Amino acid sequence: MNPESTDAELIALLDRVARQDATALKALYDRCSSKLYGLAMRVVSNREWAEDVLQEAFLNIWRSAGDYRASLSPPMAWMGLIVRSRGLDFLRRRSSDRAHVTQELDEHLAETLEGETPNPMDTAQASEQAWALHQCLGQLDNRQREVVSLAYIRDLSHSELAQQLKLPLGTVKTWIRRGLDQLRLCMARFA
Amino acid sequence: MNLIKHPELLDRLASSHALGTLRGGARRRFEAMAREQAPVRAAALIWQSRIASMNELQTAVPPSPVVWTRIDNLLQGEKEAQAMQATRQAAAQSTAKANAASEGVGGWLRSLALWRGATAAGVAATVVAVVVGVNMRDDISQRLGNQIASLQTQLQAAPQIEYVAVLADDKSTASMLVTFDPKNRKLVLQRVGGYQEAGDRSLQLWALPPSGGPKSLGVLGSDKVLRLTAAEGDVREVPTLAISLEPKGGVPGAGGPTGPVLFKGALIQKLL
Repeated sequence: MNPESTDAELIALLDRVARQDATALKALYDRCSSKLYGLAMRVVSNREWAEDVLQEAFLNIWRSAGDYRASLSPPMAWMGLIVRSRGLDFLRRRSSDRAHVTQELDEHLAETLEGETPNPMDTAQASEQAWALHQCLGQLDNRQREVVSLAYIRDLSHSELAQQLKLPLGTVKTWIRRGLDQLRLCMARFA
Repeated sequence: MNLIKHPELLDRLASSHALGTLRGGARRRFEAMAREQAPVRAAALIWQSRIASMNELQTAVPPSPVVWTRIDNLLQGEKEAQAMQATRQAAAQSTAKANAASEGVGGWLRSLALWRGATAAGVAATVVAVVVGVNMRDDISQRLGNQIASLQTQLQAAPQIEYVAVLADDKSTASMLVTFDPKNRKLVLQRVGGYQEAGDRSLQLWALPPSGGPKSLGVLGSDKVLRLTAAEGDVREVPTLAISLEPKGGVPGAGGPTGPVLFKGALIQKLL
């Protein structure tokens, strides 16, 4: 399916959700829940937590779909932002409750980074801009790409990344700087 | 520095701002400039939107079907709570009218002083009963022996309410009275509020033990009074009972509640 007609359909569904049409929410869920659950998994790295995040995100979409049009974003981008924010909220609540959770997360992250297989980025259902970003991220080396994505997806600072990935702070800073430089050059071609 | 004259630096700052790695003072200075200068703001927004595309590139994973059930139940609960609120407001308005007509009964019942008095009277009666009991001596007790025996037989047959709970909604309005008679293993639920679930939903009663997950005690029908059979072990030492809104017939399988909790209350063991 071509992305423009998909977007138009999702926008029409969001408009109906804004008018509190529950069948439209179900249709939207059927279309987008896998993609958004994948994102939630990446933010919180635990199936059960990701389910809570997805649930909260959809209730959020139900209540704020009326604001969608004003955002001028592609529909998946708007919903993705909601899922990521709810995921980050969830992690913040967790880490204030229980310190050991970050420990689990650290180990998971370190494993992710050891693997030499490229991170399977998925352009299905992605907007045109996401496709461009995908092309540009594809030019980075695996570990660089992983550090750059984690910095954004989990909202981590240089020192948090260094700590969680068990890397020297200087290395993290260099990878991020070089990664962003390459992205800037590459994305300029798509602008 | 005027960032607009240094497009490469502007781009670099905007991209690391969007990624989230620009922190502390550098972040605050950049954000201040973005508020003041539209081209800086534009660069920041462009990068925010580019970087946010990362959200769309994650591998799709199908979630468990339970997630939609939970969302659907919460939406239903929300809808019903709104309807309930509307009913209650209408009821409150008519009650207010009735009260205006006969100020007295409501005020009288609500009078705290009266309740305090009644409690004091109850305590006094108990004290009298105890004193009388202590004063009974052997000669009388012999005569009373037979009477006590027959009373005990009657007592065995009569329900012995040992546990009571009043389940209330999130606005502390009493909605369900629960009593439990461990001797006859009878759990009785009486609807006391105006709440009525939709035709395709059922209310389900749960024991919330201090450890372990919620334990279903049964599913409510639409009757005003419901009698369930429960073992004392299911109820004893359970601090709280709760009622959730579930699909018709209750949660399929042995899992915990999938819908929102509508009413909740402490289970109290009567000591007298």
